[in-house]
Amino acid sequence: MQDALLDGLRGVVGPANVRTGIELGPWVVEGRTPDAAVFPASTEEVAGVVALAAEADVPVVPWGGGTAAAVGSPAARTGLVLGLSRMSRLVEHEPGDLTATVEAGITVAALQAALAGRGQWLSLDPPDAERATLGGVLAADASGPRRHLYGTARDLLIGVAVVTAEGAFVRGGGKVVKNVAGYDLPKLFIGSYGTLGVVVEATLRLRPLPEAERLVGVSFDRLKDAGAAVRALLASDLIPNAVELLDGAAAAALGAGVAPGAALVVGFDGLEEQVAWQCEELARLCAPLGGREARALPPETWPRLAPAARAALGLPAATMTLTVLPMQVAETMEQGANAARARGFVTAWAAHAGVGVVSAALAAEPAPPGPLAAVLAEWREMAHAGGGQATLEWAPLAVKAQVPVWDDPGAAGRLMQGIKRELDPRNILNPGRFVAGI
Amino acid sequence: MAVLTESRKASLRRELEAIVGAGAVLADPDELLVYESDGLTLLRALADFVVFPVSAEQVSALVRLANRESLPFVARGAGTGLSGGCLPAEGGLVISLMRMNRVLEVDYDNQLAVVEPGLVNLHLSWTVGARGYYYAPDPSSQQACTLGGNIANNSGGPHTLKYGVTTNHVLGLEVVLPDGEIVWLGGRTRARAGYDLVGVFVGSEGTFGIATKIVVRLLRKPPAVKTVLAVFDAIDHASAAVSAIIARGLVPAAVEMIDQLTIQAVEDAFGCGYPRDAAAALLVELDGLPFGMEAQAARIVQACRDAGAREVRTARDEAERQLLWKGRKSAFGAYGRISPAYMVMDGVIPRTKLPYVLRRVNEIVAAHGLRVGNVFHAGDGNLHPNILYDPRRPGEEARVVAAGAAIMRLCAEVGGSISGEHGIGLEKSDFMPLIFSAADLALMQRLKRAFNPTGLCNPGKIFPTSKSCAEVGPVASRPHAIEEKGLAQRF
Ligand SMILES: Cc1cc2nc3c(=O)[nH]c(=O)nc-3n(C[C@H](O)[C@H](O)[C@H](O)COP(=O)(O)OP(=O)(O)OC[C@H]3O[C@@H](n4cnc5c(N)ncnc54)[C@H](O)[C@@H]3O)c2cc1C
Repeated sequence: MQDALLDGLRGVVGPANVRTGIELGPWVVEGRTPDAAVFPASTEEVAGVVALAAEADVPVVPWGGGTAAAVGSPAARTGLVLGLSRMSRLVEHEPGDLTATVEAGITVAALQAALAGRGQWLSLDPPDAERATLGGVLAADASGPRRHLYGTARDLLIGVAVVTAEGAFVRGGGKVVKNVAGYDLPKLFIGSYGTLGVVVEATLRLRPLPEAERLVGVSFDRLKDAGAAVRALLASDLIPNAVELLDGAAAAALGAGVAPGAALVVGFDGLEEQVAWQCEELARLCAPLGGREARALPPETWPRLAPAARAALGLPAATMTLTVLPMQVAETMEQGANAARARGFVTAWAAHAGVGVVSAALAAEPAPPGPLAAVLAEWREMAHAGGGQATLEWAPLAVKAQVPVWDDPGAAGRLMQGIKRELDPRNILNPGRFVAGI
Repeated sequence: MAVLTESRKASLRRELEAIVGAGAVLADPDELLVYESDGLTLLRALADFVVFPVSAEQVSALVRLANRESLPFVARGAGTGLSGGCLPAEGGLVISLMRMNRVLEVDYDNQLAVVEPGLVNLHLSWTVGARGYYYAPDPSSQQACTLGGNIANNSGGPHTLKYGVTTNHVLGLEVVLPDGEIVWLGGRTRARAGYDLVGVFVGSEGTFGIATKIVVRLLRKPPAVKTVLAVFDAIDHASAAVSAIIARGLVPAAVEMIDQLTIQAVEDAFGCGYPRDAAAALLVELDGLPFGMEAQAARIVQACRDAGAREVRTARDEAERQLLWKGRKSAFGAYGRISPAYMVMDGVIPRTKLPYVLRRVNEIVAAHGLRVGNVFHAGDGNLHPNILYDPRRPGEEARVVAAGAAIMRLCAEVGGSISGEHGIGLEKSDFMPLIFSAADLALMQRLKRAFNPTGLCNPGKIFPTSKSCAEVGPVASRPHAIEEKGLAQRF
């Protein structure tokens, strides 16, 4: 990196907020060390950094908590890490409006703690809440088990402020919960992995904290039966806030309290009497389908649900997310496990079953890269066969070289490339990491 | 826009008929008149042709022809829009989706349906109702408006307070892009490889292409519903009750407010059981499990009483509930009986600003020598001041437009938006600078270019005319002159 650029960056954010050389360890991704890491403290500084980078034609990699930094196709060029950790304020919280505006670098945990103090919460529960920042959660469209009832970032983000690839400050959406003025820019930035702009501020709709919440685990000898229980649950009058299906390995990773076997883990919230009644109903509904006793699980179980498949295998060789129709979840898990087993692989599976989002992990031992890629390709085929998709969430570079990270978006890919060209004509925002070569 | 010669028109007509069939092209001025405006009859424009395709392939062929001829084109559903969104540019094609109105598939297990864009909103809920399912977004126009129009405008309704607006219920779209290519955005699963193009298409007001298939989520009907009517002697108290309900951590399915003028109009027209002397009423609906419903209703009742309600009652049975809702949903029809015309505004404000803003709205309209009825989605701060007027009285329309502009400014001032659900269309495009900077609008323009590079797909909508960029001018300065005609009653 040219010294002139570094000097310029130091001028914008102050010398103490530019890291270089051996200080860059925390921002190494897939063996690649960035040219520098800079930490602006304001929107103006972010704009200044982006403008300098654009001028020097150096890629900018927006960085929140780094929890999803390794997701994506391998980067072709190194660039500048633009860390948002110094922009972490809760800008505004008006409980009466059920909305809050935050800077992008606030962690999910910090935000939830502040909101809880006033009886509210952001109904989004991505993994790694202590590290994950709001900006990163939006960019990666991260979510957790409660998405079953409360949806994902796209259902909660009502306004966004970004610094564009040219260093301009742009707002989309607004501060009110209902708003159709202009295009829905908040949607554009959700799940865009930092390729369209640097999110610096977000306005979110909130909910009152429920009076009671409980998580119940029901164990089954066969995953298939647990799948049947999901079907019965979704067709019932119950209103769960989470419907998680786990194979034996993933269920064991949830910790004490979960009986051996596959597990259906269901959350309920609301008034105490509603929660209690629904827990009983769930047990009644599962019993004839082979569900063994329904046990209340401790609240610490919640954050372990989404990463359960990965956690079950310690350091897995690869993880993949398959998105299928809700009724295909159990079958996908069984078929996927069988396909891997046939090639000698141990796997673990966990799903947000009610919305059809399945996480699969492959054990590292034994794992020569060849067959590993074959299993992943087979999984992807499975998802496609049912009209779904697959994303290679994490894998070593050797595997990424053989299995694409993203699905081919088909004809829509041309539109996406067009949007990227319009918003980032010089291709400096996280280039090459995303779908369709974006 | 170049005017087509008669011979050019005749040959185009033959080409259009070759695509959609002879019975599916309108070109006679008398027939075209029906399509010169939508629910906002202040604005009108005549197309050269109105065509009625029955498939995505036909839509694509029409769009390709329009491109070849550099003719502007616009999709049209039921034409109930309230911002002039489906108005043609002067000339060009109106592509009506009304013959593409089938439910193609219902997958109850996975709780989704695949439908054509011309399907009437309520017909979907009817189709799946027997099995205990429904489609949640419920615009008050749901007996007439189409899913395609809902997609384009990201329409809402009373129950969107709890269940969200259209965008929260759409999984996938088959779209004919402005260049004629047919693509799928999203699908049946929650998966997305790449940008959320469904999210971006919904709410794009017909400027990103024409939806030809729509995959929507279906919800299970809630097992229990309770509807509460709270009656107030002061509007301020009703506004305060809305905040009180939210502050107590209650999330009703709907919180609608109806003011005195509206109550009286509704009672005169339909007799729905609202007290005529009330200053305002709140219609609050709870839904969900039967368990805990009583406890929640009791809290709603208490919140309303504490805010000064003079009477709070719960609908005794389904018949009374339906009657109360009829009063709410037929308010627009009732205005038609007490005023030759009315203009529906659609601002949104932070809920905590409700008492102040309602007071100001009433002052503003009175200062313009006009009457206003308020019936709106109070729970999410989405106002609908309806300004009553008589278009035959000289100068009155201009005052309506001026009052409307002042109300939009007010919404912007308190941190709100100029449209909650009706869209910007032609009507409010010059007001966009009230809430968006030039840079914000420039980014939206770039997004538009990615979808619609020639600009032929629904031109002239959403963005301010270049004249007005510097200064926000009144609607009347647009080429579509406000004309001396009252709003026709639709239903
Ligand atoms: C009495 C009354 C009450 C109303 N209440 C509500 C309410 O409660 N909530 C609410 O949100 N709205 C309400 N509206 C407004 C209106 O009904 C909605 O905007 C509705 O979604 C419009 O649907 P439509 O089929 O009539 O669309 P149109 O008016 O025909 O078109 C609206 C827009 O959609 C575009 N369009 C239509 N079909 C397609 C397609 N297939 N693909 C792409 N673009 C398309 C058009 O180009 C246009 O921009 C009300 C209107 C009236 C008259």
